[in-house]
Amino acid sequence: MLNDIPILSIICYVPLVGALLLLFLPKDRSALIRQLATGVALLDFLLSVPLWFAFQRGGDLFQFRESADWIESIGARYEFGIDGIALLLVLLTTLLGVLAFLSSWKAIATREKEYYVFLLLLQTGMLGVFMALDFFLFYVFWEVMLVPMYFLIGIWGGPRKLYAAIKFFLYTLVGSVLMLLGILALYFYNWDGLPVWGGLHNPQTFSILQFHEIGHLIPADLQIWIFLAFFVGFAIKVPMFPFHTWLPDAHVEAPTAGSVILAGVLLKMGTYGFVRFSLPILPEATRELLPWMAGLSIIGILYGAMVAMAQKDMKKLVAYSSVSHLGFVMLGLFALNGPGVNGAVLQMINHGLSTGALFLLVGIIYERRHTRMIADYGGLSAVMPVYATLFLIITMSSIGLPTLNGFIGELTILVGAFNRTWWWAALAALGIVLGAAYMLWMYQRVFFGPITNPENENVQDLNWREIAYLVPIVLLCFWIGLYPRPFFAVLDQPVRYVVEKVDAGLDTRLAIAPSVAPAASTGTAAAAGE
Amino acid sequence: MPNPQEFLRLAPEILLASAGLLLLLIGTIGRGLSNRQSALVAVVSLVLTGVDLFAVRRSVPGRLLILGDSFVIDGFAIFWKALVLIATALVILLSIRFLEEGGYRAAEYYALLLLATSGMMLMASGYTLLTIWIALETMALSSYILAGYFKRHLRSNEAALKYFILGALSSGILLYGISLLYGAAGTVQLGELSRGLADAVAAGNVLVPLGWLLLAAGLFFKVSAVPFHIWTPDVYVGAPTPVTAYLAVASKAASFAILIRIFYEGLGSLQDDWKWILAGVSAATMIWGNLAALTQDNVKRMLAYSSIAHAGYVLIGVLAASEGASEIGLWSAIFYLLAYTFITIGAFAVVILLERKEYAGETCADYAGLAQRSPFLAAMMVIFLVALTGIPPTGGFFGKVYLFAAAVEAGWTWLAVVGVVTSAISLYYYFRIVVYMYQRDTTETAAVPLQAPALVVAIGFCAAATLLLGLYPEPFIQIAKSSLISLGGM
Repeated sequence: MLNDIPILSIICYVPLVGALLLLFLPKDRSALIRQLATGVALLDFLLSVPLWFAFQRGGDLFQFRESADWIESIGARYEFGIDGIALLLVLLTTLLGVLAFLSSWKAIATREKEYYVFLLLLQTGMLGVFMALDFFLFYVFWEVMLVPMYFLIGIWGGPRKLYAAIKFFLYTLVGSVLMLLGILALYFYNWDGLPVWGGLHNPQTFSILQFHEIGHLIPADLQIWIFLAFFVGFAIKVPMFPFHTWLPDAHVEAPTAGSVILAGVLLKMGTYGFVRFSLPILPEATRELLPWMAGLSIIGILYGAMVAMAQKDMKKLVAYSSVSHLGFVMLGLFALNGPGVNGAVLQMINHGLSTGALFLLVGIIYERRHTRMIADYGGLSAVMPVYATLFLIITMSSIGLPTLNGFIGELTILVGAFNRTWWWAALAALGIVLGAAYMLWMYQRVFFGPITNPENENVQDLNWREIAYLVPIVLLCFWIGLYPRPFFAVLDQPVRYVVEKVDAGLDTRLAIAPSVAPAASTGTAAAAGE
Repeated sequence: MPNPQEFLRLAPEILLASAGLLLLLIGTIGRGLSNRQSALVAVVSLVLTGVDLFAVRRSVPGRLLILGDSFVIDGFAIFWKALVLIATALVILLSIRFLEEGGYRAAEYYALLLLATSGMMLMASGYTLLTIWIALETMALSSYILAGYFKRHLRSNEAALKYFILGALSSGILLYGISLLYGAAGTVQLGELSRGLADAVAAGNVLVPLGWLLLAAGLFFKVSAVPFHIWTPDVYVGAPTPVTAYLAVASKAASFAILIRIFYEGLGSLQDDWKWILAGVSAATMIWGNLAALTQDNVKRMLAYSSIAHAGYVLIGVLAASEGASEIGLWSAIFYLLAYTFITIGAFAVVILLERKEYAGETCADYAGLAQRSPFLAAMMVIFLVALTGIPPTGGFFGKVYLFAAAVEAGWTWLAVVGVVTSAISLYYYFRIVVYMYQRDTTETAAVPLQAPALVVAIGFCAAATLLLGLYPEPFIQIAKSSLISLGGM
């Protein structure tokens, strides 16, 4: 039934339509504005839930396909479709969207209309990134979403918002434009670099699936150039060490909802880029650069954790913990085996949930006390028991305690990493220990002990709205922690597809190349690529 | 003796020039025409010219050389003529209130605009170096006066004088280059020039390189490419803002039309020589234009440097076509100029709307808090700035993507790298205005009055065009492609 309607387009553009509707509301009707905006986000989430049930496990790799002509001259098409990986990320996006809207009700007091318009536009951009099956379309969404994010940080951010916003924008823009050159190189290689049918061109296309097909035929040196171009774009987004410096600034200055979306969804676009493009399209370059990638991931894990430990600001601590956690995701991806990639994708979701929740929690206490300094707190568990409990659960989820989601993700990643090179896993495990240390130490300083600061004596505990947007996350954390099978069931097929593309690249090249092109022209292929 | 019917092919130009002269005449007799009346006459004559142009297009399906092979009617010429007409019409919409506030006579102003435009249209059709040069001078002489039209203002006078002196110098250089090439090849007709020059080079004629270098220098001056850009910032800042928009868009488009035609048809045989010059100039223009724009506080000066930078991007496309990248070659440059036209006129229209008392309101600080005072205007400006940076979903994004694609395909990858890095840099100065509009508070709370309907129409039209080019560019690509079908030397 869902296949008969353009369900993905509907989900993608509902927020856009909502944003346009908001433009027509008078700006002083703030209650109406936030109710409408939240309603739109909720509607979008409800529309996306059926995807989970209608998605056929073991069916086509990409489902709910939509296809239409767009720019015939260059072969760019309007192609939407999701596999298991994208399915989970779409659901994460719509869910966190609702929570981000709910969390903004009190936190945003100025220029609300613009705020919700930008938040809705951002939602459309992110959903489009995960749904696009045309590289060009993907790129359009990838860049479109920078503009609303810039405004969210730049208008409603903290004291250094101007600096943080433009830094975020410049960093990610530099990364994306270089990625664009990589896309173009790939496009032209597919079009006239391949040695098929002597002189005849492949049709011009930006189809990601077509690129997956021809990826292993690209000569190694060209693969490495394209990989590096993609790497700049994706690594800045992830962010991988040493491209992470924009992240703490952006996080600290962004409003709570901005941080939630930034950590929960935006960073995943980087890792998603690796798993969707770099790995399957450029298998040889991936294997060639594997030690570098794994090295940077491990440095990110350890460095992020150690810097997090030194932070005095809760939000900054969570921001650096993201660097560490995303290092795990990258390590899992570059384990290039089933468990590693499975764990990495699941950990993307886990990180979105737990870090999103952490930012929400920090935002709640900031709204009440207008400070995020750990030193200003202490003994909060006495006055805010509900808050302390929820915070503890999320902390445990972030550390990776068994029965909670983080454990499943990290364990699977470690299994994968261990299979590839045992000492990678050993170093990464050190990161888990450090993670436990900084999170628990922060928890201890904020919640335990006597109340040292008299201002903390009368802090309100959570209200119904705050509980309402935290409980779903907690439930999901337990679900993934206790019964992750449905998630792995969705991931199984796409992950196997990716791993086969990368791992068997060399072998399939030997097997496929002669049947695709006469042996004599394989040399021309290499020459054309140079 | 040419067949009188051939003049019919140039009827649009003749019509427009006559309208300009007529306006000059009746506008100055007795009490003359009011500002609005003259604007109406000018717009009507532009529309009639457009209709006539369409008729010419219908009657000449392919390529036609007329008047002793000195003019050419082809899709390429028609495209530029149409673009220049649209740009001029938009500039007139921008001018009405500006002239009213300035208190200057309007009839001569519009007459000069029409005369300059007819010069541009002739440029697009010129097929010998001499007809091109004369058309260029028709445009330039009118532009000098337009730049100095606010004669009671020092800055306007300064702009006109600088423009005139440097423009005359560059025209002289251009003409000198033409004379050397004529000496070497024995012809100024573009179709024969290419072969003539090849023969002259084969015979060891040393004047050929000097000739085409001087010719190229003159052309680079007209499109304000580095290092021949020095005049641009001062002239753009000093000229009345609608004239600045006119110079930045229409004049630049027409200059690119002759640049492309001369390089590909006239100097086609020397491609291997000039492509390196073109690459160097393109890179220098992108780098210097963007870097210099970083430090500007005056919005008009910033837009001046940005227009220099954009000339560098267009040159990428012109160059990429030389490598036989036939699929994405020149049309990327043409598409870019099409998008650039609407984006730039839109941005200048916002500047004009904010300007009070002629020139006040040009610094970034004057944009502070605009999003609070006039959300519509601020949103429109964001669209134009995003497009100038080259971020989707706008025409500026697609324009840049096609240019970079053309460069990658032609093997000029390093030029594409310079292009993408400098566009990322350009974000910084374009978004400085956004920072002022959205993130700075101001003591001023009064909304900017939108009582100039013509300006608001122009802004809305340009914004719609910018977004349309960004969401569904296909038909415009087809237009750009079809304009190239009959271009010789391709």
